[in-house]
Amino acid sequence: MNGDPIEILLVEDNPDDADLTIRTLKKHNLNNPLHHARDGEEALAILHGAEGSGVPPGPLPKLVILDLKLPKVDGFEVLRAIRAHPRTRLLPVVVMTSSREEQDLVRSYELGTNSYVVKPIEFGEFAHAVAQLGMYWIIRNASVR
Amino acid sequence: MTPRVLLVDDSLTVRMDLTETLRAAGFEVVACGTLGEAREALARGGLALAILDVLLPDGDGVELLREIKAAAGAPMPVMMLSTEAEVRDRVRGLRTGADDYAGKPYDRAWVVSRALDLTRGAGSQPPGARPTILVIDDSATVREELRQMLEAQGYGVLTAETGEEGLHLAADRRPAAVIVDGVLPGIDGAAVVRRMRSDSALRRTPVLLLTASSGAATEVSALDSGADAYLRKDAGSAVVLARLGALLRSAGATADSGAAPLDAAKRILAVDDSQTYLQELARQLRDDGYDVVLAHSGEEALQLLDVQPVDCVLLDLLMPGLSGHETCRAIKARPAWRDIPLLMLTALDESEAMIEGINSGADDYITKSADFEVLRARLRAQLRRRQFEDENRKIREELGRREREAVETRAARDLAAARATLLAELEAKNKELESFTHSVSHDLRAPLRAVDGFCAALEEDCGAKLDEAGRRYLVRIRSAVVRMGRLIDDLLAFSRVGRQELLIAGVDMTALVNSVWLELREQHARRNVVFEVGNLPRVGGDPSLLRQAVENLLSNALKYSRGRDPARISFAGKEEGEEALFEVRDNGVGFDPKYTHKLFGVFQRLHRADEFEGTGVGLALVKRIVERHGGRVGAEGRPGEGASFRFSLPKGDPT
Repeated sequence: MNGDPIEILLVEDNPDDADLTIRTLKKHNLNNPLHHARDGEEALAILHGAEGSGVPPGPLPKLVILDLKLPKVDGFEVLRAIRAHPRTRLLPVVVMTSSREEQDLVRSYELGTNSYVVKPIEFGEFAHAVAQLGMYWIIRNASVR
Repeated sequence: MTPRVLLVDDSLTVRMDLTETLRAAGFEVVACGTLGEAREALARGGLALAILDVLLPDGDGVELLREIKAAAGAPMPVMMLSTEAEVRDRVRGLRTGADDYAGKPYDRAWVVSRALDLTRGAGSQPPGARPTILVIDDSATVREELRQMLEAQGYGVLTAETGEEGLHLAADRRPAAVIVDGVLPGIDGAAVVRRMRSDSALRRTPVLLLTASSGAATEVSALDSGADAYLRKDAGSAVVLARLGALLRSAGATADSGAAPLDAAKRILAVDDSQTYLQELARQLRDDGYDVVLAHSGEEALQLLDVQPVDCVLLDLLMPGLSGHETCRAIKARPAWRDIPLLMLTALDESEAMIEGINSGADDYITKSADFEVLRARLRAQLRRRQFEDENRKIREELGRREREAVETRAARDLAAARATLLAELEAKNKELESFTHSVSHDLRAPLRAVDGFCAALEEDCGAKLDEAGRRYLVRIRSAVVRMGRLIDDLLAFSRVGRQELLIAGVDMTALVNSVWLELREQHARRNVVFEVGNLPRVGGDPSLLRQAVENLLSNALKYSRGRDPARISFAGKEEGEEALFEVRDNGVGFDPKYTHKLFGVFQRLHRADEFEGTGVGLALVKRIVERHGGRVGAEGRPGEGASFRFSLPKGDPT
């Protein structure tokens, strides 16, 4: 983490997916400060402060890109915690996952995600999807600060 | 309808006597003195029974018997009537198919009872008629009470005031059961039962004996007389009806079982070369209610046994021809006859003869000089023994049968349990396999994405450093990734269809097919395709799965007809019984019918990848979707002549 406040929080345990996502955002000139959290616990520590450590939470990002399959605390738990906490209640969250399962989609929306994106296998499509969501949520969307 | 009997005998005395007897029993009689007259009577028809003498002035009664039995239609029952002296005739008659054989001098009551038995079912008692109950009681009040009670239950009722009158009515009308008072003027209830039991025609009629008092002694004496059940007179109508119902049921069951009842008339074969002794023996035994068959020699006895089963044999020791010992050994050597009790009769009272008799296999040994009562007692003892053996055998058979049934039941239960366990295991394994397939195909996507992503990165970032071949390889790698991605997607869809619960709704197939077609048509906008969709039946099914199946079938048709101009694709349907049948037809490349069975298998492809792209999952998915709806799939095709795919679904809207 550098001194700049985080604007994009990427929660992703797969380093390949993380690197390709970061690369794509940069290619599309979305050079906003980004933090890559490798599991749910780390993500929640950044948003709400680490439990019992007294470390205060940093400023809120503009967007959370959230994978569902995560070690320790999974994506659903992270989503639930984000929506339950008054500080992050209205924070834009985009679920980005390999799962096309109907039940995962429904559950994500029930828990309050703003968007649900299935990671395409083909990189062209993948890059397109990442670029679109970056543009939309970082540049176009007006969210409650 | 009165049964009509044809009586053929050359003796006027016999004709008059039997005509009178049979008429008294309710028969109509056509009496003839010659074969010629008899044949004329037969030609006129309408006869229920024939009673035939053997020796007739113009021929042989057995000849007529043969003609009757050879006639078309259900053969008429025939009773032969001939002198007891001619065993040969009896053997001949029974071999030719006579239903019974009465020896002269005949017993009138016996002839009547046999005539009644043989004509029963010939219209005298239509099947399904309500059962008739005979009530014998000297009290008019009791008779009337019972009549009202029984008639209210749908029984027919006959009443008699005395035992004699009751027996007469019973012989005449053959009631389904008899209720008799124990105390009657003249012969009492127990005597009525005993008489009925010694009458071969009434022996099997259930009897309910009413007594004034209860107690073990009364019960024993009532049942001893041969009654099937006894009741106190004040038992109440419900109890009487219940017991009566049970008796009629068990009587019906015995009659249905087909086995000869143990209390049927005992038939005794008496063998002696002395006509005088034989006649005396026959008279005495017939008085006791036995059916007696006579033979004058060992040879005749063996011939008779061949055609007529008997319950006991009385055998003279000293006879010309085959001796008693030899006859006895011959009888005991035959497995079918071995168990028939055999009593040896002899004039000699010597222990040596007795020992020899027993050694040859006789069951008992009696001197002719002994009191006739002794013979009776020994005979009863032998018959009882035989009866016990029969009963024991029946019980053993019954036990064996029940044991077999128990074993079979247990085996069936074990089998069902094993099957249920296997089924549960199979289901668990299937689920496991489904979830395995799902997670594998799921987890395969991530590395694949990385391969494609870094290929792209390599191309973009280091493309300048690669030569032409390097860039070509990258293209190959990425197209392989796309193929594998499709495979995984199809596999996922396939496993989802297996796991997913069906959400059944009414589906408008015409609308569904049209909407799928519009989508597909856009992707092939440049092709010239003639598409026809008929008026399709509605079905009950899962709309999203059916959409998937239709899409697979139509894109298949589009794919394999792409060389045609125009391509022709049709989607037709009709209702048949409970099913809706559909057919998708194209004029594409078709397939070789010898591979039809492979078409619907997963990953089965009938075309090379460079001819037609595909994963080989599409039709397997169609099959799975259709079968989950309880339908069937089929296909027909010829190389170059197009293909047709058929499937069925439950028709109409779900209820």
